[in-house]
Amino acid sequence: MQIKVVMAKLGLDIHWRGALVVSRMLRDEGMEVVYLGNQFPEQIVDAAIQEGADVIGLSTLGGNHLTLGPKVVEIMKAKGMDSLVIMGGVIPEDDFPLLKEAGIAEIFGPETRIEEMANFIRARVKTEIA
Amino acid sequence: MTNTKVEQDKKLFDQEVIQEIEEQKNRWKENTVKGKEGEEQYFSDSGIPINLLYTPDDVKDLDYLKDIGLSGEAPYVRGVYPNMYRGRLFTVRQIAGYGTPEDTNERFKFLLKNGATGTSVVLDLPTIRGYSSDDPEAEGHVGAAGVAIDSIEDIEALYDGIPIDEISSNIVTHLPSTTVVLMAMFAAMAEKKGIPLEKLSGTNQNDFLMETAIGSSLEVLPPKASFRLQCDAIEYASKNLPRWNPVSYNGYNLREAGTTAVQEVACAIANAIATSEELIRRGNKIDDFAKRLSFFWNLFNDFFEEIAKCRASRLVWHEVMKDRFDAQHPKSHLMRFHVQTAGITLTKVEPLNNIARSAIQGLAAVLGGAQSLHVDSYDEAYSAPTEESALISIRTQQIIQAETNVVNTVDPLAGSYFVENLTQEMAKRIREYIALIEDKGGLVNCVESGWLHREISDFAYSMQKDIESGKQKIVGLNYFPTENNSTKIPVFRYPEAAETIQKEKLQKLYAKRDSAKVEETLNILRQKCHEDENLLPYIKDCVLEYATLGEIEEVFREEFGLWQFPLA
Repeated sequence: MQIKVVMAKLGLDIHWRGALVVSRMLRDEGMEVVYLGNQFPEQIVDAAIQEGADVIGLSTLGGNHLTLGPKVVEIMKAKGMDSLVIMGGVIPEDDFPLLKEAGIAEIFGPETRIEEMANFIRARVKTEIA
Repeated sequence: MTNTKVEQDKKLFDQEVIQEIEEQKNRWKENTVKGKEGEEQYFSDSGIPINLLYTPDDVKDLDYLKDIGLSGEAPYVRGVYPNMYRGRLFTVRQIAGYGTPEDTNERFKFLLKNGATGTSVVLDLPTIRGYSSDDPEAEGHVGAAGVAIDSIEDIEALYDGIPIDEISSNIVTHLPSTTVVLMAMFAAMAEKKGIPLEKLSGTNQNDFLMETAIGSSLEVLPPKASFRLQCDAIEYASKNLPRWNPVSYNGYNLREAGTTAVQEVACAIANAIATSEELIRRGNKIDDFAKRLSFFWNLFNDFFEEIAKCRASRLVWHEVMKDRFDAQHPKSHLMRFHVQTAGITLTKVEPLNNIARSAIQGLAAVLGGAQSLHVDSYDEAYSAPTEESALISIRTQQIIQAETNVVNTVDPLAGSYFVENLTQEMAKRIREYIALIEDKGGLVNCVESGWLHREISDFAYSMQKDIESGKQKIVGLNYFPTENNSTKIPVFRYPEAAETIQKEKLQKLYAKRDSAKVEETLNILRQKCHEDENLLPYIKDCVLEYATLGEIEEVFREEFGLWQFPLA
């Protein structure tokens, strides 16, 4: 079954290059990717529900990862959904533990190979489906 | 035939000599170097094929005085001023901006004390995108990635104790909608302080591509509306702020988003052409405003191509001003530009290597004749710069200024067969890309149709593929990959209290201002949005009554409507 990803720029962060390139490259990896553009947590979760997304990808380089990232997981759980939430962008490593504690499955910094990200998604989505 | 003879005499080399060089070069290719030229074809970052050896025949068509000339004279390839850095060193302009205006004011003072010669401020995302700090959309962004500005009081706090009538103030406004509000606040602040507007010098960004193509957002004004505000700011400044650069055509962020060096310059100049046409349509004369149009370039690691780009950009701009617009004022012909080194070339692995990258890019900017420079800090793949890393950036600039001697002679790479050849080739490709944009109906149309977005995204995608395949080498990442993947460096933290402080300031502001007057000025602005009139004076009336940036921009969103960003 094809893995479905919704990809969003988190909040007002303007830097779309990474999110769009990752979207295109995950499509090359055989996944279906819906690029949402800029959205706030509530709308991201609604879109993910509507699309039946296996994965929610959040991109931010604007320093809002700690405030808005965990909110996506929170709202998602409150709405009874359990997608894999991953993040990418410029995020200090010191914040990784906090984000993971809040339910973000993985944080992919600049320079991540797309293969690595795709393999992570496949492994996790498969286990969760199983 | 006499004419041809005269023309030939003006070429850099005697045609007989060229013929001999060509013969010798053919022999050399066949005998001396055959099989030793390297295994692959070599290209610049923009895809220009690069030869093993450049010789006089690669510049044989150049007529020195006509095609290269003297510094400060047409066609300005060698520089916009006759004495260049001997007259005035490039401005050391490091951007700063975080937290409240009071926080950033402190960083300004730190940078100025350590030798910065102008201020440059970046704004937080709610300010850039036109939301007040107490707007739900602003949550999590206040004072992050830039400073929060809500009202004229914040602009006053930001520049408290800064001699704005003596040093230049750069405001990285990004969007035209942000520009018109902040320009109005800045001018109103100066007037309240008793500083005549003629004394204000500085630059704001004001590029509609930042709103509609380069940076994405939730609520985006339509390209035509954004372009109109861009032109309003330029027109207003040309009449009221004679020393202000009301636009810095932003090649920089185009390049960061994903373009070649050729596309970067071509899009920026195409925007300047569109602006000039619009302002002339409104009844202005080219020389009223062209002398204050400025540009913003991004210098990557391809050292000679970047230097050639700077030189070529001056040439093409001069041609545009002379041939298309018949500009008479010599200053209208000067392509003046700021350079920031390329953030996207900085790596997260082995971050200290970024000091070397930025220094090389900064040196290229100076060899390319930049008017001002920002050198990126080594920690920018981690966070905004710390005070320590920002200081290294200033020191890098000072090393170039004071220790390398490169500033003592103008355009020192001129006459290099390679650099002159590459300059001509870059200029040719820039002209061709401008022509392509115009074939597609001009820049505003190229944005409306999503064509420009596709160009950017296609390039970003192919560059990432080249990095992953190793075709594009990045030290520490895919070329001699690092074994130590977990460097610990100090990271900068945005002050967390900014959101609370700004919200409290807004509460006080709402309580003390005359809300009837705020409404009245906003309503006039609302009405003027639908008329063919410059909006700046009406925006200034609003800010003087303490209307917030968010309130003014809400008027734009309501009156101009919103536009769907064409990315998928």
